[in-house]
Amino acid sequence: MIHLTDVILSITILSVLLTLGSNRLMALVKIIALQGVLVSLTPLFMEHHDKLTGGILFLTPITVAIKGLVIPAFLFFAVKKASIRREIEPIISYHASLFAGLAMILVSAFIVDRLPLNLPGSHALLLITGITTLAAGLLLMMGRRKGITQVIGYLMLENGIYLIGTALAREVHTLHVLEFGILLDLLAGVMIMGIILTNINRAFDDMDTSLLMRLKD
Amino acid sequence: MESIIAYGIALLAAPLFPGFILKVKAFFAGKKGPPLLIKYYTVLKLFRKGSVYSTSTSFVFRMGPTVSFVTAAMALLFVPIAGASPVLSFHGDVIVLFYLFGLGRFFTVIAALDTASPFEGMGAAREVYFATLAEATTFSILVIFFRLNGALSFGEFFAGTNPITVWGGAGALLLLVIVSLFMVLLTENSRVPVDDPATHLELTMIHEVMILDHSGPDLALIELGAFFKLLFYAAFITCIVQPLQFTSPWLHALLFFGIMGLIYVAVGITESITARLKMNLVPKFILTSFALVFFAAILTTRVVS
Amino acid sequence: MDTYLFSLVVILVGGILPLFTYKKFTVMKAACVIITAIGSFTGLYAALSFLIHPVENAVISWPWLHHFEIALQMDAMAAFFLIPIFFICPLATLYSFHYMHHEKQSGKTAISYFFSAVLFVSMALLTTANNMLTFALAWEIMSLSSFFLVVFDFRNKETRKAGYLYFIFAQAGALFLFAAFAVIYSQTGTLSFDSISAMPENMKLIAFVLAFMGLGSKAGVFPLHIWLPHAHPAAPSPVSAVMSGVMIKMGIFGIIRFYMLLAPAGEIYGQIILVAGMISGILGVVYALGVHDIKRLLAYSSVENIGIILLGLGLGMLGVATGNSTMAAFGFAGGLLHVFNHSIFKSLLFMGAGSVIHKAGTGKINELGGLMKTMPVTGKTFLVGAVSISGLPPFNGFVSEFLIYYGAFYGLAHGSSFLLPMLTIISLAVIGGLAASCFTKLVGVAFLGEPRTENAAKASECGIAMRISMVVLALSCIVVGVFPEPFVHIVFRVVSGLPIAATVSPTVFIDLVRNISLVAVLFLGILGITMLLRKGLYSGKPMAKGPTWGCGFTQPTVRMQYTGTSYAMSIVGFFRPFIHSENVYSGIQKIFPGKTTYKTKVSDRAESAILETVVKPVFWVLDKLRWIQHGEIQLYIAYIVLAIVILLLAQ
Repeated sequence: MIHLTDVILSITILSVLLTLGSNRLMALVKIIALQGVLVSLTPLFMEHHDKLTGGILFLTPITVAIKGLVIPAFLFFAVKKASIRREIEPIISYHASLFAGLAMILVSAFIVDRLPLNLPGSHALLLITGITTLAAGLLLMMGRRKGITQVIGYLMLENGIYLIGTALAREVHTLHVLEFGILLDLLAGVMIMGIILTNINRAFDDMDTSLLMRLKD
Repeated sequence: MESIIAYGIALLAAPLFPGFILKVKAFFAGKKGPPLLIKYYTVLKLFRKGSVYSTSTSFVFRMGPTVSFVTAAMALLFVPIAGASPVLSFHGDVIVLFYLFGLGRFFTVIAALDTASPFEGMGAAREVYFATLAEATTFSILVIFFRLNGALSFGEFFAGTNPITVWGGAGALLLLVIVSLFMVLLTENSRVPVDDPATHLELTMIHEVMILDHSGPDLALIELGAFFKLLFYAAFITCIVQPLQFTSPWLHALLFFGIMGLIYVAVGITESITARLKMNLVPKFILTSFALVFFAAILTTRVVS
Repeated sequence: MDTYLFSLVVILVGGILPLFTYKKFTVMKAACVIITAIGSFTGLYAALSFLIHPVENAVISWPWLHHFEIALQMDAMAAFFLIPIFFICPLATLYSFHYMHHEKQSGKTAISYFFSAVLFVSMALLTTANNMLTFALAWEIMSLSSFFLVVFDFRNKETRKAGYLYFIFAQAGALFLFAAFAVIYSQTGTLSFDSISAMPENMKLIAFVLAFMGLGSKAGVFPLHIWLPHAHPAAPSPVSAVMSGVMIKMGIFGIIRFYMLLAPAGEIYGQIILVAGMISGILGVVYALGVHDIKRLLAYSSVENIGIILLGLGLGMLGVATGNSTMAAFGFAGGLLHVFNHSIFKSLLFMGAGSVIHKAGTGKINELGGLMKTMPVTGKTFLVGAVSISGLPPFNGFVSEFLIYYGAFYGLAHGSSFLLPMLTIISLAVIGGLAASCFTKLVGVAFLGEPRTENAAKASECGIAMRISMVVLALSCIVVGVFPEPFVHIVFRVVSGLPIAATVSPTVFIDLVRNISLVAVLFLGILGITMLLRKGLYSGKPMAKGPTWGCGFTQPTVRMQYTGTSYAMSIVGFFRPFIHSENVYSGIQKIFPGKTTYKTKVSDRAESAILETVVKPVFWVLDKLRWIQHGEIQLYIAYIVLAIVILLLAQ
């Protein structure tokens, strides 16, 4: 039978590769929403969580809502309000990003192989996916010009950390509490970003971060 | 015997399925659409006609359609159609098979260059570029299949004790493979979003522009070759997703062709709801498919061990 | 062994004779062709009969300069590499019968025949060399004689430059090779090949890497390949055919020979060769796409094919190291068969290129076109060569690539070495696709369509001797592709010299090869039937002729055709970080635009890198030493005296 975790993780990787390759801002936001939902659902399907504690059942829907709905909605409105152009404007070209994505998968598989961890079967895959997502988030932050893509990159980074945490944590409950705190921080960050972006937009008529260089001295 | 009958049916049915695509597209556009058998009529019409040859061309131009037809027809020999064992099967036949497609492409391309037309040259340049990238995906898929099943032949992939099917243990990986195989199908058969077979501007075409100068029976051969090729890729995906093994060959064949029809419908839906990509974004599209299978291939190290 | 030595003597006689008979131009050429052919066929017979009935201890040696020993030994590997030498060389000589057509250059032609014979003999001696001294001697004679052949047209400045570049690379390569010999000698204390395998493992690696640098520069492995695209366009076509078809394979021969002599254990050897093969293979063909001079293109394509051969050998070495016998046997077999196949189709293509340059007066493909109609034999044989080199069935290139693929797939079975075989498969697929793009470009632009210039339109078919050579080679491509069994058999006989490969049962590859043969025959059969049916469909139908459909444009000119540059542009652009292409576009400034120009030039990254990192520092150092060279003869004599005194005292 197909393991549901494997499917979810495969689609997560798919979404990571799609973010690296996508050239439309709206598409990127949609993919990030999907990725958020997938990532927050992952703990439910892990093998050793036989008993679904009340904590998980309570926190998971909220995580899904924040990652899959609230934050993407904010991003969506930010894009709409700030009337940002739809093209993504890569600094690192799409082809190079995709190849970098492949290299990340390879390297993370290599790292997981080398780590002195005793992980059950699908946890290794989880760890690979997590590290790849994290690295791809960093790449997205470095390799794209627009401010909003950097926020999206940051979201992916957080998704990656969440996956790594799920893979490594023994006590799921504590993890969730911790994770939830981070999520709230993030939410606040995205809101602030939204406001700032609108303001920058009003000031510069553009969302290009290279314009921020004008602000130096 | 059973295999040869299945092969014959596949050859005969190949022009039927593209009719599904047209119907689906017509449905999305709110039109009635051409009859399902439209492609048979087209091929028969072309067979009845004569041809016009450009004065620029040489024998290469006349050979192109024949070679592409023969290679596509031969490729289907290796496919287990409707559960019947393939007509021809040996260890390593997958490599032969994809190289036969390469041979067909080689001759289509030089036939296009033989016309001295700038547009056909442009189409040819795009065709070889995109095909090269798609080849990387295809062979990565073969790597995965070899890792999962230890076979190097199209028939053995889907037979034996450890067949490759999406319902087995490695299903999650195969989901990725199916997605990228579908992307390769769209690329290799010049469908939207890579190429639009229905476009009217030569500058934006890939495959269609290469065959602009062919006419009559030559064009019919090209069309038939294209149908076989599309059928091949559809059958490839069908073999992976086929859920049940019926004992009755007829029931099995029915299911097989049913799923295949659904794949054509999926192509039609894709064509209806997506726009074609800008030419410089096509390589990215193909590379995405490569990235997916590459990831799946790396994961096989875990699944197998 | 005696037959073999006799054949070498005959070839040498065939080379010396023209020096005395050059006054009678045609007689000289005919005599040389016939004698070389006799010598080569004798040699071919000797090599084949050795492969079919191996003789134990086919050794011969004689002392040289009291201390040293010239030793020759025939073994399966040597016999295998002798086949392309004795097969291609007479055909190249036959080809040159009509190619060297200037009676005024009779003396020069005679000298070139002499050096050709020396080159053939030295290559043959190299394959049978049984100690380091003989190997080095044959290697140097080979390099020098081929240098003289390259500078045939020495009055041309470009040719001289190319010749010097080749000379420097040949000698620098030899330096590395001799360094490897020195390492080995320091460990074993003898020049003989016998005790090499007893060296310590770490020394083996050093010796192997040094030898690989030296041998690889001759073979044209990627960063060391830069003499190839300069030397081949400069040399006469029959010389290019021999050099690219046969001589660069001597580098490959050396790599296999040393690998087998060293018999090393680690996986690192296979990994080095595989990575070098991937780089050479992919970048070679990308550069081939980027250049538009027919012979330069073919030179880069040689780099690519050397890459494919290395992929095979690397898989073999990796298989030996990991104990994977299928991978080892099929890797080596595929690599060796590709050596043989490449020698056939690359010589064929160079000869075709030679005919084109001969008749159309230029090798720039963007100035050619439509040659298929005016040069039908050259065109058709060239097409066969192009399909073969793209590795497509039913021609010979496919058989060897298939064996390499097969070995690589079996390499996947081992968990530890999973990545490299997988990358090998992907690179082979990409190389295959790019090679097809490259050769559709070459055939499509140079031979098909309409002639782009006056010269191309006036070209006519080449001489009969040239045509015969090309037809023989084209037929060989088809024969090896359709009936590969005897050839694969020979290759596996060579490979079975390896202990690990002997465990692979011969039925495995015989079945495999029979199936390929079956597919090829089936393909040709169905193709034949379809062609007949097509003929039937067309019988009694109207067949009109007209101009090409110009998409509504009514005044097409030949200059509108897609050029090789535009054809390859997007692929070259894809590999941008690895290939530098410079575009100069004047742009359109006015409403009624005047003359606009667009120029694009591809330059070799390896060339500029070597220029920056090696040549410039060396020049800088030498510049500082310039004061030694002051031009006063008295002081030079003082130098000599000083040197003698130091040497005497050092004793």
